[in-house]
Amino acid sequence: MSSDYENSDNEYFEDDDEIMDEDDGSASDMEVDGFDNGYKTIGNKRLKSYEVDYEPLSQKQIEDTMKNEIDYISGLCGVDADVASLLLRYFDWNREKLVDKYMDNADGVKTNAGVSPPEKPEPSTASSSQIESHTGPRRSTRRANSSEAQKQSKTKAIIERISPPVEEPYMCPICCDYNPTDTRSLACEHKFCSSCWSEYIKNKVRNEAEQWITCMAEDCNIAAPNQFVQDVLAEDPAVWNRFKELLVRHYVASNKNLKYCPYPSCTYTVSCPSASSKSSLTTIVPIVTCGASPTHKFCFGCNIDDDHRPVVCAAAKLWLQKCQDDSETANWIKTNTKECSKCQSTIEKNGGCNHMTCKKCKYEFCWVCMGPWSEHGTAWYSCNRYDEKASIEARDAQSRSRASLERYLHYYNRWANHEQSAKLSVELYAKTEKKMEEMQMTSVLTWIEVQFMKKALDEVSKCRMTLKWTYAMAYYLESGNEKELFEDNQRDLERAVEELSELIESPLDTDTITDLRQKVTDKTVYVQKRNEIVLEDTAQGFQDGRWKWNCSVDGFD
Amino acid sequence: MADARLRRVNKEIADCKNDKSSHINIELIDNSPFHLKGSFKGPEDTPYAGGHFDVDIVIPESYPFQPVKMKFLTKIYHPNVSSASGAICLDILKDAWSPVLTLKSTLISLQSLLCSPEPNDPQDAEVAKHYLTSKASFEETARYWTMVYAGGPGKTGSAAGQKQDEVAMAGLEKAHVDQFESLGFERGKVIDALRRLNYRGANVAKINDDRVVEELLK
Ligand SMILES: [Zn+2]
Ligand SMILES: [Zn+2]
Ligand SMILES: [Zn+2]
Ligand SMILES: [Zn+2]
Ligand SMILES: [Zn+2]
Ligand SMILES: [Zn+2]
Repeated sequence: MSSDYENSDNEYFEDDDEIMDEDDGSASDMEVDGFDNGYKTIGNKRLKSYEVDYEPLSQKQIEDTMKNEIDYISGLCGVDADVASLLLRYFDWNREKLVDKYMDNADGVKTNAGVSPPEKPEPSTASSSQIESHTGPRRSTRRANSSEAQKQSKTKAIIERISPPVEEPYMCPICCDYNPTDTRSLACEHKFCSSCWSEYIKNKVRNEAEQWITCMAEDCNIAAPNQFVQDVLAEDPAVWNRFKELLVRHYVASNKNLKYCPYPSCTYTVSCPSASSKSSLTTIVPIVTCGASPTHKFCFGCNIDDDHRPVVCAAAKLWLQKCQDDSETANWIKTNTKECSKCQSTIEKNGGCNHMTCKKCKYEFCWVCMGPWSEHGTAWYSCNRYDEKASIEARDAQSRSRASLERYLHYYNRWANHEQSAKLSVELYAKTEKKMEEMQMTSVLTWIEVQFMKKALDEVSKCRMTLKWTYAMAYYLESGNEKELFEDNQRDLERAVEELSELIESPLDTDTITDLRQKVTDKTVYVQKRNEIVLEDTAQGFQDGRWKWNCSVDGFD
Repeated sequence: MADARLRRVNKEIADCKNDKSSHINIELIDNSPFHLKGSFKGPEDTPYAGGHFDVDIVIPESYPFQPVKMKFLTKIYHPNVSSASGAICLDILKDAWSPVLTLKSTLISLQSLLCSPEPNDPQDAEVAKHYLTSKASFEETARYWTMVYAGGPGKTGSAAGQKQDEVAMAGLEKAHVDQFESLGFERGKVIDALRRLNYRGANVAKINDDRVVEELLK
């Protein structure tokens, strides 16, 4: 398998087009076996129009591919594997660019990449030293004079470098230890004690998730080869493993056909060339599973931590952004929505008149200051000014944003409702399991036979996820026939899901259990069908370019 | 590694004490060498000249492999320093940190930050806006803050004990504040709103009164 993706990006693009072409034909009947791109399709099953072709890969598989790349560069440039690894990483694994530049100016590339020091190495002894290696204040020339200090203080870039003079007994400039048991240096020969190297690399790897480790000396760009890192971390295998994982992550991040599984501590990668281009994301929603666990489901096309089918990444992102922004607007309006100071019922704003009367308790008050209207006879001036243009405009703007807020809330509430139900499903699963045990004990049904309950619940959870995202989709769909059809399908699915939910949660009656089983099983099949319809039809619509947005969505024109 | 951290910090403190030429001061705040106070003079030929600036220094657990934490204790009007909290935006205090940097060199960098603000990478957006809109007015405010908070010299030499003028602190014009205050808005609110709108210099002509009232009604 490894040979499959040492291909260049260009080759991937050809594959990409090929897939798109077939998709344009009859996507639901798409035969995947016929692909000659070498990617296995999971279980060799036929893909539905809302599914994508992809391949899960283990860390070992990626490492093998990386090794092939490294061996290739190693041979071509005549450098050892560690240098080849640094060069490739420096060029973000863009092999073509590396070879191009290297053939042009090998020494220059090596210097820039921090593989070897520049031709005329900086003498490591010449530097002003603050933390000195001698014990007494016997040297008076150590510090810059005051005018120089003044100059220095004006130049942010000038920073002292701590490194001891050679003739003095060695002191590690980082930990100020004299005669450390062991020291190390990279090609630049900046010497530091081993224990500082170890702390430094551990910090880089653990806290900064950094795979590119440069020398500790200021302004030194020499990078640590893998062997150096491994030697330093000899006693910390966990950190060394983490470093290796970071190497893989960097490789994966550099290749747009690959994506690292976002689940915590998972080390799998997914290859999905058909979703690697931005334009492909207007026609497909590339939901994939990493291969380590079926629960590791994520979107290859974006960072949304959800199976956001049927809505495409750009619209889903737009929606989430809106939810975030509008929680602010909603709050703003909320703080600007006033309650009657007598009875606390919410006050509706209407018209431009500030003389308000609470519908409920008939309290008369001033809309602007909320004070009783009766007092305004004498202090009238202080409120009158709000009838000026600015405040009228402000209020108009408020009612405009209120109308659009209400539209948004219509979709948002339904979206949030399905999300909430999904969150409660853990409890529901526990409750259902209990119910299944009960059924098995009190009725004629066996454990296998009561599984219909769990199946039904699985289906409900799955469909709620679909429903949730259909509200994000509907919010952005332009009004018209297509939207109406979409909402018809949405409504049918929603109704079926609610009915099935109700059946699952209904109290158990031993006498009618076989009847219930039949009903639930039938309903589950129906719900499944409705969900398929929503997913298939929406996906097909994206492929046909049938969906029109009511605002601009990234990638669509 | 704990010993190494202590050894290093103690040496840095001692070195700084022995070095009279840099005029950088580091002292202990309590008994721990890991919580310090640094101080330096505002650089000449800047609005901070004559001021004395204190910096809170916290040495993190993994020092010097992670950057030292610093913030201004003295209030300062500068685009890269929060006017409220003293938090500092400076590359070497973040990703550009290197374990060979010292407390002293970092304080010197802070001092030079006062000479060359970087308003395009601001910590305090409102101050940065002020700087970019009208440098002269910005400098006046910065000088005023230096005088009031950092013990800097006053314009007339008599200002040290003077009651703080909110309008000058915010770098606004008294006439503008008076104008909106006369509409019945609270003075503090007017200053806030005008500051947010960057109601200064050439901007004043661009912002109409309705916009200000709208901001005040928020
Ligand atoms: Zn050391
Ligand atoms: Zn070096
Ligand atoms: Zn995974
Ligand atoms: Zn997505
Ligand atoms: Zn009322
Ligand atoms: Zn009133």
